[in-house]
Amino acid sequence: MILHTLTSSNFMPYKGKMSIAFPTNKDQNVMLVYGDNMRGKTSLLNALRWVFYGKAVGRHSREIPLFELMNKDAALEGDWSMEVAATFESDGHRYELRRTVNKRAYVATPSRSEDLEVVRAMRKDDIALPEHLIDSEINRFAPEQTSRFFLFDGELLDEYEQLLIDGSEQSKKIKEAIEQALGVPTLIRGRDDAGTILKQAQKQQSLDLQKLGGLEEHANKQKFHQTQIDSIEDDLAELNVRLRSVTEERMALDDDLEKTEALYQAKQKLTDTKAAEYKNEADQAQLNAERLVHIKDAWREIVRPLLTIKREHLHKENTQLTEQMFARNHVVTQIAQLKEAMKSDKCQTCGQSLHEKERAAAGALLGTLESDLLGMKVNQASFNLISSEIQALDKLLKPTNAALIPQLDKQIAKLRVEQTQIGNAIEKLNDIVQGQDTAEIARQRAKRDGLIREATRISEDIKTAQANLDKHEKDLAMISKVLQSLPTARAQKSTQLVNISSALEKIYARSIDRLRNDLKLSVERLASAAFKKLTTQGLYSGLRINSNYGLTILDERGQEVTVRSAGAEQIVALSLIDGLAHAGRSAGPVVMDTPFGRLDPKHRSNILSYLPTTTPQLVLFVHEGEVNRTTDLAGLGSKIGAVYEIQEVSPRHSRIQKVTQ
Amino acid sequence: MNTASEPTSVRLSAKANTILAQMKEDSYLAEMSDGYRLGIALALSQAITPPELPPDSKTFIAVSGLDPEQEIATAIRALVSLEGQSVYRYAERLADWGVMHMHEQFKGGQLDVSALIGNLVKTGS
Repeated sequence: MILHTLTSSNFMPYKGKMSIAFPTNKDQNVMLVYGDNMRGKTSLLNALRWVFYGKAVGRHSREIPLFELMNKDAALEGDWSMEVAATFESDGHRYELRRTVNKRAYVATPSRSEDLEVVRAMRKDDIALPEHLIDSEINRFAPEQTSRFFLFDGELLDEYEQLLIDGSEQSKKIKEAIEQALGVPTLIRGRDDAGTILKQAQKQQSLDLQKLGGLEEHANKQKFHQTQIDSIEDDLAELNVRLRSVTEERMALDDDLEKTEALYQAKQKLTDTKAAEYKNEADQAQLNAERLVHIKDAWREIVRPLLTIKREHLHKENTQLTEQMFARNHVVTQIAQLKEAMKSDKCQTCGQSLHEKERAAAGALLGTLESDLLGMKVNQASFNLISSEIQALDKLLKPTNAALIPQLDKQIAKLRVEQTQIGNAIEKLNDIVQGQDTAEIARQRAKRDGLIREATRISEDIKTAQANLDKHEKDLAMISKVLQSLPTARAQKSTQLVNISSALEKIYARSIDRLRNDLKLSVERLASAAFKKLTTQGLYSGLRINSNYGLTILDERGQEVTVRSAGAEQIVALSLIDGLAHAGRSAGPVVMDTPFGRLDPKHRSNILSYLPTTTPQLVLFVHEGEVNRTTDLAGLGSKIGAVYEIQEVSPRHSRIQKVTQ
Repeated sequence: MNTASEPTSVRLSAKANTILAQMKEDSYLAEMSDGYRLGIALALSQAITPPELPPDSKTFIAVSGLDPEQEIATAIRALVSLEGQSVYRYAERLADWGVMHMHEQFKGGQLDVSALIGNLVKTGS
């Protein structure tokens, strides 16, 4: 199949007419559509998906309701029409496929999908095809089951990584989808049909055997196991339906909660910020209380500098007075000694007679000292007063905690700044949370957790029921074996039918195993070939497939590489998709939405070089960060057949324009 | 030197009293008497000669409550030449001037005790 054009009217953000032409030259078979996030790249992919299969999918592959596909701006203006059309060729025929939506005649203003009416039309070589032939025509060249391999978005790449996890719910679903695309269900349905025939034959056999003497006990046992099996199968079917319903409900809640996650985070942050505000206020109150206590002594700190100087002065005065007292005491002592010496004519130290001249000198000195003493008056009262003043000041100048007030003030000021910041943060968070029902979000979270527990419980019940079913089936098989050895039973027509249908079931089962095995080997071979072209690590020898179609990288010795980067995961996933696309259908266009998210330039370059060689048309919806127009396209330049750019007119209105190369 | 007889209580002008009451209400002070002492200290640190109290002054607190250890009296005596004036009569003039000055200095804002003792902190005394 080769795509020619895609046109739309009022589809998702593309208000009014939108039109793109795909490159049809096989030497220039790459088309690039640039667009920032939220501009409408995935909507283009959905336009293709919707026109072919009547479905558009959002996050987690969930279908987007028809009503949500209508352009909101156009709807506000009263235009409730929407259309997508694709033209393409296949097997030498030209096709035009068109889906048109209009509001139903009796609806004034649509408010839900049911208020809208969809009409589909296909023309083959300009001849209109009847509606009932359209699906079979599409299935000839682009069956829906394989669409995930040629219409896929980057989000799917993450899903494929799940295939490496045995037993995960996600991996089971993807495995089913892969097998659906590869044709395994045809055989599975054959095996199930043979199983149904077998069961009916066994029931008939029980009825027949009851009529035969001596085999009643076998018949009763067989009937018992058949009844048990029927009952368990009913239970299992019910449990599986319930599990699917619980899982779908949980996924829907997950999607809703994802949208409100920012709000929930804001609410949580608001609670934390309010607690921080409360603590800040408590800390401020405590520091203020301390400060108030210290203010009692603050007056001492204010007068401390002056009192310190005053004390220094008093100390100086006191020192002078002390020195004066010492000097006076010294003179008084000298006078007393001289007076004593003058009483005798002999030296008091050595006992020798004193000369008159020396006595006269001593007398003169005594007179001078007595005269000096008259001038050496010391005010004892002053001295005492100063000493007492110094003592009082020393008591006043003792250190106090009031000196800590500036420190406390700094801490309080810091807390006040923080308080302002906290206040601003609370205001912002309140703006976010205002009007939102956070209780409802909490309820949804609790419900989601409950559904997860419920799904686990149902899975356990399924396991138990399955084990029980296996046991009864084994017992039934044992009885069949016994009956085969009894000539009277063997002669019954119903026993022969049991034998045939049992053999048929076994053939189908073996065929399924063989087909799976062949397909896995084929996918492994194709994916390994793609991987070797895509990887930048030349030493890797290829990929190994597991029972889930998960792929592990093999090193140069054929050993599994257990640790791999996010980029390597993406390369492996792309290799798998390439392998599946080629194993499951004839070559057709590949449309990829945001496929290079986690890849380095070298890997991007490898993909851009490889994919155009394996597909007749490669359409890439990318943003500038994924494929740089100047650097990444260097090696691809000659392959590019068309480049488009999505531009935002308003959040609900985008338009697409061809870029001149 | 004649020593004047000391009063048993000190007074404060009506305006200064209102200021201290407001400071207490605003939680800048635990007790109004703390502000009274701050006023005395501020006036002493500025080495001003305080004016007489206005006639509307009323008894503020007992001397024994304001200065139980006579430390304020000691500080005043150390820094001011009272020349026979009563130390507590002088203290009440200092307090009145100091309280009015604090009010003027921190009008519209909070009582910044750190600023009052700022020089002390800066010099690390």
